[in-house]
Amino acid sequence: MEDPGLDVEKMALVMVEAGARLVTVSAYSLDTGEFRLIYHWDLEGNLLNCATLTRQGALPAIVRICPAADWIEREIHDYYAVNFAGRDLPTLVINEQDTPGIFAHKFQRKNKPGGRA
Amino acid sequence: MSYTIPIGPYHPALEEPCKVQVTCEGETVRDVTLSVKYNFRGVEWLAERRNYQQAVALVERVCGICSNVHTLTFCTAVERIAGLTVSERAQYIRTIVAELERLTSHTLWAGIAAEVIGFQTLFMTCFALREQLMDLLEKLSGSRVHYGMNCIGGVTRDLADPKAVLIAARNVRQALTDQLIPLFANDKTVRARCMGTGKLTREQALAWGAVGPTARASGLNEDIRRTSPYAAYAQLDFEVPVETSGDVFARVVVRLLEMVESCRIIEQAVDNIPSGRLHGPDFVEVPPGEAVARAEAPRGELFYYVASDGTDVPCRVKIRTPSFVNQPAVRPMMIGANLADVALINASIDPCYSCTSR
Repeated sequence: MEDPGLDVEKMALVMVEAGARLVTVSAYSLDTGEFRLIYHWDLEGNLLNCATLTRQGALPAIVRICPAADWIEREIHDYYAVNFAGRDLPTLVINEQDTPGIFAHKFQRKNKPGGRA
Repeated sequence: MSYTIPIGPYHPALEEPCKVQVTCEGETVRDVTLSVKYNFRGVEWLAERRNYQQAVALVERVCGICSNVHTLTFCTAVERIAGLTVSERAQYIRTIVAELERLTSHTLWAGIAAEVIGFQTLFMTCFALREQLMDLLEKLSGSRVHYGMNCIGGVTRDLADPKAVLIAARNVRQALTDQLIPLFANDKTVRARCMGTGKLTREQALAWGAVGPTARASGLNEDIRRTSPYAAYAQLDFEVPVETSGDVFARVVVRLLEMVESCRIIEQAVDNIPSGRLHGPDFVEVPPGEAVARAEAPRGELFYYVASDGTDVPCRVKIRTPSFVNQPAVRPMMIGANLADVALINASIDPCYSCTSR
């Protein structure tokens, strides 16, 4: 599923109520300065991929709905400085004094991923 | 009055760095904070700056214990983008090596768990068994740790000595049923330390996204080999052990029974391995596209997302390891536990910090 304006909180509620497990979220930066995020869920062994775009570099956090999102959102914040609104984002894999976004800016190679998952 | 104890990042019970900060009231753990940043190497960033062949060698080095499953999953994702078909023989060889790797990983974990419990004889028994498996892997691949068996489109080597693999699988199965399983299951010390310790309910396991033996010990019947088969698993008969008590003992039992199943899988695969080519062309063109691949690593579901822009360098490689989702789940396991059980509870998920922070 691909929806640039996806309501991720609603998606998370529906998935959790259906008994789905959050596998992870894949993120990468786009030429526009925004990021494409794909929420991967496992429902009874089937992988469901819900892709959306950040809005001004941010999306609502889903950690209150799904605790599994805690480290996932923090890691994406470390890598791309994507802001997950409505929660604290302490660093996870980088040092506290480092600036989040280590993959997004100074080391960015290119950002032209192909089709769809 | 509560007090906080910092454990780690370096400590003798675990040879990888992790900081567990526990807040206690008396000897009861009331809160836990985990810090896992010490092995961050930027593997995903590095993979996006190497061609596909180099990336295979790189992702093998994410982990020193489950190295093979990383290349298997990465290659599977790239093969999906490129539309490559892997021969049945190569799929069987991938399965055999993956199960040998699971056995070495689980015997390592069982040994460490025995040491944490304080059972040195059991630790030596587990490591003696593991040594035989590592010798066999060296015989098959030329290496005890990074086997270099997978390539995009197949495997790099044929099964050099199928008879030795069969004998090893039977020996390990015998050792498991005669020694390890009775020792772990019936020993009073093991039972006293593990039963009722570090409980994770089914609901907690699902909410925290736990995978592998950690999830299956809490009643979640999930195994990627069964729910989303890859390599040759769809052609082989095996059970997925599931326990419902969700404690450390259940995690012990699940892993021990899984090892027996691994031996069964190896025996069947060696007996039924078909003939065929090992791999496709040496140089593979990867068109624009994206794909995900999942595999059941020793610690649980391993996930790769790979995106291609049509060049020989992937433009995105996302790696989600099982330890990355199992490690946060130790928090609900530890809260309410006795301080003395913190190390055992942490060890019970078989954590890998190289995988976690990559």
